Amino acid sequence: MISRFITEVSTVFNPFSPKAKTARLFLSFLPPNARQTMKISIKLLPRISKEPSFVELKFKDGMQMKLDAEKLGVKGVIEEVDRHSRMLSRQEELAGN
Amino acid sequence: MPTRISPPSKAMASILRCRRPLKIRRQYATATATAITPAASHAQMTRGEAPIARYPPSQPPSYKPPEFRKSQLLRQYASLLRSTPLMLLFQHNNLKSNEWSAVRRELSLALRKVDEARVAAGFPAEQLEEGVKIQIIQTGIFSSALKIVEFYKPETLPSTLDPTDPSTPSSATIPVFKSDGSHLTHTLSKAAHDATAKKSHALAPLLSGPLAVLTFPTVSPLHLKAALSILSPSPPQFPAPTRRANPGWHDPPVQSGMQKLLLLGARVEGKVFDVDGTKWVGGIDGGLEGLRGQLVAMLQNVGAGVTNTLESAGKSLYFTVEGRRIMLEDEEKGPSEEKS
Repeated sequence: MISRFITEVSTVFNPFSPKAKTARLFLSFLPPNARQTMKISIKLLPRISKEPSFVELKFKDGMQMKLDAEKLGVKGVIEEVDRHSRMLSRQEELAGN
Repeated sequence: MPTRISPPSKAMASILRCRRPLKIRRQYATATATAITPAASHAQMTRGEAPIARYPPSQPPSYKPPEFRKSQLLRQYASLLRSTPLMLLFQHNNLKSNEWSAVRRELSLALRKVDEARVAAGFPAEQLEEGVKIQIIQTGIFSSALKIVEFYKPETLPSTLDPTDPSTPSSATIPVFKSDGSHLTHTLSKAAHDATAKKSHALAPLLSGPLAVLTFPTVSPLHLKAALSILSPSPPQFPAPTRRANPGWHDPPVQSGMQKLLLLGARVEGKVFDVDGTKWVGGIDGGLEGLRGQLVAMLQNVGAGVTNTLESAGKSLYFTVEGRRIMLEDEEKGPSEEKS
């Protein structure tokens, strides 16, 4: 996963729901120095809550993404992130950096 | 992401293959022996197996091949789960090794402080700090170990008779080795596997992804509170140590490691708690002694109330009778005074 362009990650999930696996795995895919380069906020719901889990992202170019973690699965979430990140990296290359 | 664990190798396959032919070899041995020894007695012929265990008591035959790391991990996790009443589950997101060691160091320092404070307060010394351990687990094996511990309760305890012990009478019937291992009840046995294969535990949804467990040898809210304030501080109830009190906690490796640890839930005395429940357990004032003190105080109050209620009837009767007596005496006195 290309995580260079992410500036902010906020997730909400109930760890006792099997569908929260996506959000948790997404957090584990972030690199070890992620806390220095981006802002990460995690909110854990209580065990009984039925609220859906989601991953909200902000990119360097100001793009905001709210991904429904329950439907996409971790592969889908990473695909969405990479699609935008690849575009940003191409722009960066063309700008000559 | 490429898997770090290689697929089962040829060596494993060969181990699996050569588990069978033991029987055939034994038949060879008996065939040569019959030439020398006299024929077996009638009892021996009909009863079949002699009361000898064909395996050391520490190594019963198992359903899963015991030489695999998986099997040994399953045994290790099962014994861990049986021996720990209080266990916290953390998700660890890419901690580096120096961060792990820093976090462990801070945790053991904080727990040692709690131990020393307890000794200073006059409680008997118990070195809980040595028993508290944070370790990374393999989730799949851990979940099956959890199911075995929770759901598999064999009715027949394994026999305590040891056939190699000289004091065991030779006529004792030992529930001996059956070649299919169907009577065995240990963690790796087939019975344990069959009993738990289709069950699912309440902690099962938590057991995925990178996971670490923090295990305590006893349920001690004081130690839990110290551990929570180190690993996942939340200001009102579990404040992080101040920079003056504990400068080591504010080191960059501890800070970054602590931020990447995510408390998911807990298992306390076999019950599953979420984060709020864990904080509730950690927030019990004064630990178990405090709880006991509260209970004793409550029971004493109840006792005092009961004695008061029971006494009050007698007292009120006494006061009534006494009052009446005084009244009668006054009446007796009254006329006499008038006469004189």
